[in-house]
Amino acid sequence: MDLAALKTQLKNFVQSMFEEGVLDNQFSQIQALQDSTNPNFVEEVITLFCNDAERIINEINRNLGYQNVDFSNLDSYVHQLKGSSSSIGANRLKLACANLRQASDERNKEGCLQALQLITCEYCLLRRKFQALLHLERSIVELETNQK
Amino acid sequence: MAPTLPSSDQASDQDNWDNGRLARKRQLLIEIVLRNKLTALVVDGDTTCRVLEQLLLRSYGVQTQCVDNDRDAVALIASGVKFDLIIIDMILPVLNGLEATRQIRDMGVHCKMLGVTICSGESERQVFLAAGVDVFIEKPLDPEHLVPILRELDGQ
Repeated sequence: MDLAALKTQLKNFVQSMFEEGVLDNQFSQIQALQDSTNPNFVEEVITLFCNDAERIINEINRNLGYQNVDFSNLDSYVHQLKGSSSSIGANRLKLACANLRQASDERNKEGCLQALQLITCEYCLLRRKFQALLHLERSIVELETNQK
Repeated sequence: MAPTLPSSDQASDQDNWDNGRLARKRQLLIEIVLRNKLTALVVDGDTTCRVLEQLLLRSYGVQTQCVDNDRDAVALIASGVKFDLIIIDMILPVLNGLEATRQIRDMGVHCKMLGVTICSGESERQVFLAAGVDVFIEKPLDPEHLVPILRELDGQ
């Protein structure tokens, strides 16, 4: 596939993520911050976000496994995940966090477990799409490098 | 044999792509030029948020430091380091953003403080403002909220 076609594919793929509500306009801001001084910025931020998100989801899972859940601890984790989701533009994941926040506020363990299930699904979807996005970006960089 | 066209078509498509991206970038980032050297401190326990806020500030030429907890933020300011702008999250490791804000203000620090956090209601907003932040911004920090503040600090 030639360079122009790959770039169009990437653009369309990202657009589809916006249309599905997986990403919101905040992701465009992040793309706009990538330039020649930060050529891999998008990949770096996505990697950072995914590493942190997985760690937090595991921690939330662990917390909810205890008989007596420490909800204030849980609040802190949910706050982090919602914050980073908002900052990267992960719209559906951010909304899923709101469900967990509400269940945690109500000290509803069962509600928290259900909300965590949704968060895990949304995160897995997002991660798959991010992986595809980064694969396209890397292919573009490789082609651009070969053409120079 | 008919002469072949020079391979300028593909290059011009690429130029159009790159120019389009540049135009979009300028639109999204709301270009401003700061006349003065501004400094900022970002206090956020989440790495992704911290990195993004720092890069956004740096893209406008603001010299930015980061800390990941409120205790280090208070210690840094207590050591005498001055900032034009402090961006602080509400929920932080160690203490919390509210207490850190109060301590910073109690030290006599009058610089602009932005409470940038996840909000779940008006009461949280009021509490953060009462603790001493000047502006409450719901995450994510974006140019639309940041640029007017930078202009004000720059005396524009």
